[in-house]
Amino acid sequence: MPKQQPKKRTTRKKSQKTVSKPRTELIGPLAVSLRSVKKRYTLHHEKPTFVEKFFGQTYNEQFMAIDGIDLSIPKGQKVAIIGRNGSGKTTLLKIICGVTKQSQGDVRVNGRVVSLIDLEAGFHPELTGYENIALNGLLVGMSRSEIKERTPQIIEFAGIGSFIDAPLFTYSEGMKLRLGFSVAVHADPDILVLDEMIATGDANFQKKCFNRIEEFFHQNKTIITVSHVMSFIEPHYQRFVWLEKGKVKLDGGKEVVAAYRKTWK
Amino acid sequence: MTLKEIKARYKKAVLGFLWIFLNPVLQMLVIGFIFQFFVPVRVDNYFLFLFTGLLPWNFFSYSVMKNTPIMTNERSMIKKSNFPRESIVLAVVFSNLFHMMIAWMLLLLVLIGDKVVTEHYSLTQLTDYSIRLLYTLPLIGWLTLLTTGFSLLFAALNVKYRDVNFLVQAVMPLWFYATPIVYTLQLLPEFFGSLLYLNPMTGLIELFHAVVLMQPVYDPELVILDVFLSVVLFFLGCWIFIREAPYFDDWV
Repeated sequence: MPKQQPKKRTTRKKSQKTVSKPRTELIGPLAVSLRSVKKRYTLHHEKPTFVEKFFGQTYNEQFMAIDGIDLSIPKGQKVAIIGRNGSGKTTLLKIICGVTKQSQGDVRVNGRVVSLIDLEAGFHPELTGYENIALNGLLVGMSRSEIKERTPQIIEFAGIGSFIDAPLFTYSEGMKLRLGFSVAVHADPDILVLDEMIATGDANFQKKCFNRIEEFFHQNKTIITVSHVMSFIEPHYQRFVWLEKGKVKLDGGKEVVAAYRKTWK
Repeated sequence: MTLKEIKARYKKAVLGFLWIFLNPVLQMLVIGFIFQFFVPVRVDNYFLFLFTGLLPWNFFSYSVMKNTPIMTNERSMIKKSNFPRESIVLAVVFSNLFHMMIAWMLLLLVLIGDKVVTEHYSLTQLTDYSIRLLYTLPLIGWLTLLTTGFSLLFAALNVKYRDVNFLVQAVMPLWFYATPIVYTLQLLPEFFGSLLYLNPMTGLIELFHAVVLMQPVYDPELVILDVFLSVVLFFLGCWIFIREAPYFDDWV
């Protein structure tokens, strides 16, 4: 794989000008490629302040959340990331989503990443459902015309009904989650980031969500999941990456899950 | 995003857009009433003088004060996805700019009305004056540049050093008096007048007064210094913001 890299770069430069929609066409065989990625966090015991810095009282306690990960995910692969709490799973996803940047190493992501993890994030309580769809759509990377075109579908899927004109603080928790989910799945992601949160809404909506995600599974979408629920991920995914202390411990097929299970107790 | 900012701000306000104008008018009345007794400022119409300075100042101070803690206030958006972080800051600046422009239009109407009623301008004089008022457009451009620069700078710094917000809150009222809004520089001892040009808002407000009210500028050469300072601050703000933006999520 790495040998192909220089070739791709040169073709990319050329095609960028001619191709009108670089978002999908850019993709080589890889959806995500991480090379010796590290992420270092500084531990804060209190809020960081300027005054402290002047008096030299800063804590320099560092914490390696990700400690050298190499990972290549081909387009269309379904990958589950497993591991105990604090093993760096969420940090890894954040880096892939681009929410934060790695401290070292090289990260390449081809295509639109949409995360289904924090669904309510980015909603504004004072705005109506409509306005929040527009805002959230922009946040997940949709263009204005895409948002306009898909708003009816989004509302329909979320099942909000006449509340769509009301400000968001009047919504129930379930409604907010439904709206968040609906916006995210209508963003037409190339790479979908999930966790086992689908326990939202009533049974009817859960079924709708599952169907929708099932659809993504059948399309040629890359799906990356973080999960503790082995029964949920085991039948659906092809590849399992086991993280421990910020490093990849095992990477492979179902045998990884079996090995991971043995460490329980 | 700008639209969101505007709508969110007035969603609950009964008076709606009236507030945009009412707020600086009230300020003008209070300050004007008090200062007329204490400071002998020699200008034709002290209330108009105040208002011309207050509008740009309010735009500047509201934007900067709102933007400084904005990355921590909007942390839910930052954690959501990797959209360009500067859009949050720019949304605040541009929504405030929009408000200021509305108030500014009304002020221009008042100014032209004032010329007609009190000074009985002829038609040619009026057109000359109106053309003169067009010079405020580049000034508003400069003001926006300066406001954006400070907003980006403080917003980026406040992520890592949370007391920047307290600092800005504390300095803003002092800054107000270090800018010739309620007084003219001619009132000050010579040394002070020049010293105040280290504050880029000084030259800007001076020029606003000069264009609209035909006030003399205290030191035209030092105004150039302020333009230079503003551009430097703008690039400094951009540079620090762009450098820090990918790591905001680690700190909020």
